[in-house]
Amino acid sequence: MAELKAYLDASFVLEATVTGLMNLTPAPADEDDEGGVHVVPFDIRQWLARLRLLEGVPFAYLAADSELLPRESIRFFYLDRRWTDALVQGALGVGTVSSGDRAQLEQLYDVIRDEVDDEEHRVRPVGGEGASSTSQTITGFLLRSRAVSGWPGLHVRAYDRELAEGDNAVIPEGDARRLRLLRMERLAPAVLLVLFDGVPQIVHIEEPRRGIQFGVRLDSDPDGVTFSPWIRPRDATDPQKDIADKVTVPCRPGSPGVLDFRHLNKKLLGRPDTHMSGDGVVDSAEFALEAIRFPYRQVFGDTAHPVEELLDVFRPTVFIAAEPHEKTVALTERFTAGLA
Amino acid sequence: MVQPGFFVLHPAVLPPLPAGTYTLHGEIEDIPAGPVAPLDSTITVSSPRWTMPPDQILSTFPPANSEGAYRATLPQIVLKRRTLPWERKVDANERIPWLALVVVAEGEGSLSAESPVEQCITEFTKVPQPADRDVATSVYLSVTQTVVNGIFPCKEDLELLAHVREVDLSDSELADGDDDGFLAVVVANRLPQPGFDPKVGHIPRKYLACLVNLETQLPVLPPPTPDNVLVFEFDSQALVQDLRPMAQQYVANPDAFAMGSSTSAPFVAQRDVRDRAARPTDVTDAYIGAAESVETVSHAVHTASSWSPSPAQIEQAAVSYAATDAAKLVRDAMAGSWRLPVGAITFEPVYRFPVLAHWSFTVTADGTFEQYMQNLDVGLLGTLHGDKPAQPAPTTTAGPPPDVRPAPELAETGHVGLDHLTRRGDQVRAWFRGPAAPHPTVREQAPTSGPQKGRLPFAHTSDQLRVVVPDGREDVSYAAAYEIGRLLALSQSAVVTALMRWRQEQFGAQRAALLAALAAHPVGFLDDTLFEHRTPGLGALVGRHIVLGAAKKTDAVFASSRPLVDPGRPLDFLDGNLDQVIAAGLGLDFEALQRNAKRLGIVGALVRTAVQVGAQPDPALGGPAFTGLQADLDRQVGALVAQSGRTGIGGAAADALDDLLADPEERQ
Repeated sequence: MAELKAYLDASFVLEATVTGLMNLTPAPADEDDEGGVHVVPFDIRQWLARLRLLEGVPFAYLAADSELLPRESIRFFYLDRRWTDALVQGALGVGTVSSGDRAQLEQLYDVIRDEVDDEEHRVRPVGGEGASSTSQTITGFLLRSRAVSGWPGLHVRAYDRELAEGDNAVIPEGDARRLRLLRMERLAPAVLLVLFDGVPQIVHIEEPRRGIQFGVRLDSDPDGVTFSPWIRPRDATDPQKDIADKVTVPCRPGSPGVLDFRHLNKKLLGRPDTHMSGDGVVDSAEFALEAIRFPYRQVFGDTAHPVEELLDVFRPTVFIAAEPHEKTVALTERFTAGLA
Repeated sequence: MVQPGFFVLHPAVLPPLPAGTYTLHGEIEDIPAGPVAPLDSTITVSSPRWTMPPDQILSTFPPANSEGAYRATLPQIVLKRRTLPWERKVDANERIPWLALVVVAEGEGSLSAESPVEQCITEFTKVPQPADRDVATSVYLSVTQTVVNGIFPCKEDLELLAHVREVDLSDSELADGDDDGFLAVVVANRLPQPGFDPKVGHIPRKYLACLVNLETQLPVLPPPTPDNVLVFEFDSQALVQDLRPMAQQYVANPDAFAMGSSTSAPFVAQRDVRDRAARPTDVTDAYIGAAESVETVSHAVHTASSWSPSPAQIEQAAVSYAATDAAKLVRDAMAGSWRLPVGAITFEPVYRFPVLAHWSFTVTADGTFEQYMQNLDVGLLGTLHGDKPAQPAPTTTAGPPPDVRPAPELAETGHVGLDHLTRRGDQVRAWFRGPAAPHPTVREQAPTSGPQKGRLPFAHTSDQLRVVVPDGREDVSYAAAYEIGRLLALSQSAVVTALMRWRQEQFGAQRAALLAALAAHPVGFLDDTLFEHRTPGLGALVGRHIVLGAAKKTDAVFASSRPLVDPGRPLDFLDGNLDQVIAAGLGLDFEALQRNAKRLGIVGALVRTAVQVGAQPDPALGGPAFTGLQADLDRQVGALVAQSGRTGIGGAAADALDDLLADPEERQ
């Protein structure tokens, strides 16, 4: 075999060349983890998509006049895709020197636009994971309020139709009716910009849930000087049951904001509908149940649909099962036994 | 385990043994081997006492160093070990926790610097088993009797302010990094209210939340409010006590303050100097801290912006020191507003409570979340607030500007009229609309006819996007978008670099495709393939295909080496003089011919040479039999010649030539 030598003729070489060219695969500029092949490199694609979602665009371009976004206002809008396309064209035009460069950009622009359209949905990986539809229409709102500065971490959700469950229902995060959240960012301490993929019918804005908080509702006099705190009692045996009544909270005289828990207890005990311990002792678990304060949800939608009373009715994923006194004692004993 | 979405509240989880030192006494009696000496062994059940280990604090609300409208929320701290609030016994009722969360406003109390733990509790008070200490130094809160009565929970409240929460561990929002799903929660009893200044109204107010140890000091706590003085409202502007003005005077001139010459503190005149001498525990650090803070405090009363230290300063402290010191410095910075020499400026009894954990936060006067959300002005962008009528555009720019800023010139489409200074210097009004439009807009699509058919229009300069609208004015919205996009790209060199690199790569691919097209020019149908698939690696690809193709047909492509031409067979009889060989073959006398040639020349010699003629045919070989044999021979020779034409050259086997050559020899 040492004397082997290849003999190739021209027709054989030609045939191999032709076969090779027929099986050519385009050399992609970029391949992402999901197996997508792109002409536009990832970093450029990502940057253009972020630009499309108005990242870095000065605020004066979003609202040309401060009267368009007064204090304590929310302004919904449609995103003008021609405007954002012009933005992208301006960015792409950077560094074009010769007419060859420009001709090439023109050739590629269709592909670039499609790929950046696709990339827009990937800029923000969380928020509306269940959203199935992708729409060509992008909408959003600008919220300028002290609610933005005072409650960092607001929850914003948009749905593409009226929710049959009602405004206070707890909707799972991955609900298919949810619109994808393309961008949510505080542009200024008190200005929130949110972009949705699609046209929402209902928008929920919720107070941030930082664990579970305890608190009261405050009624104030017209001057905002004197406040009277109250809570809405809950039935200790059935925490989901609403008691449509206010219980005013006693305060310690002369100490602003200091609550008199002992008397509040007496008051709550005196109400038969709270079903607090029958043994005449209110324990702290039952008490905590009464003082839990749920996040508030504001619903924006078509006013033609009936709006339920929103204040304090909405309950997010927290359900409460308050155990009667005896069970807790048993638990303590178990714990003791475990140590021994 | 709690099912997801639920949590269970327990009033308390009591430890089997409260913290402390215990003696195990063992005696064995009545065994046959004789008496056994009793055995005493000591065990210590330890628990935090002066400082809460950081890993036991899961979360605090309000978040440390945060600012917000917390006026309707009770501050709380979440602890990791479920038994923590009940691990020390402070009362016969074992359900009363030894921990309480108190919320102290600026001016109401003083947080000490690190001090020996013996000094961290009110003077002349001793904790039981003082040897049971987790740390050597800690901090304490000094407050007057007024403040204790005002803001501390009464003994009856305490039990209600601590509970245990059992949560689903997979719910990160609730579980907060706990390991067993049980959390102890201590809640404060005070709704922190923002500050108030008659001149400017509500101002932010700082609060310090302290987790204090109540051991031995339960009797100090205020008595429960009598039933007959119940109130259901509070004055949010009232103060429990503000020691800051006095502290300011004291720091400015301690002697005058002590001697009572200070005008605003006449009662100080009776101050017993020995009293101060008897209180050596207000350590110097506290005074120094006060000197720093009081100055700023005096401003804080009047301006909302200058209260100190600001969250930014605290964050600065967090990042500007080594990690080991940062925690302490941050805590110190947060306590900055609570460095008052309480013991020196008041005649009331001053109590000290050991502080296990503390953090500060700022309460602003803003309303509640509901109020804000419900009072929002809702509309589409491009609508104005309230009933402010849209004004027509001013016809000229001359004249003094109006006092009140006019409403913007707004079109139904969401466009705003803005002053526009053209390149030629003309002052005109132009329309502008940002990316936010009140109506759905139509996106540009590729034209279906014309030279640009099927291709999206692409602008190369912003001027290509300027539009004149029917009212004669220019709409520069898209041109402005183009320009800001260009500037944003130019502002980041990484983007410019990436764009240039990409362009270069595209040119490389294009060049390779063109070269490939040239190479494959004879094969016309390849052009499409080449233009469709632009690849720089054409040469390598072709080479690979050739090798693979060759490997498939090795028998045709690979063979043993052989010369291009086979050498002929040696002809032995041709050795020697060629003339002699020819002469012999023709039956001539070679020597006679040579002799004659010398004389007559070769041609003359050949003429003169006689040719031998064969003998007459043998009569026996005539006739029809001989003719038949001759025809037979001809046929055989013809067949052999035909066969030799079919047999290929090469190969080791004897070929037709060999046969043909061998044949005459056999005949001979």
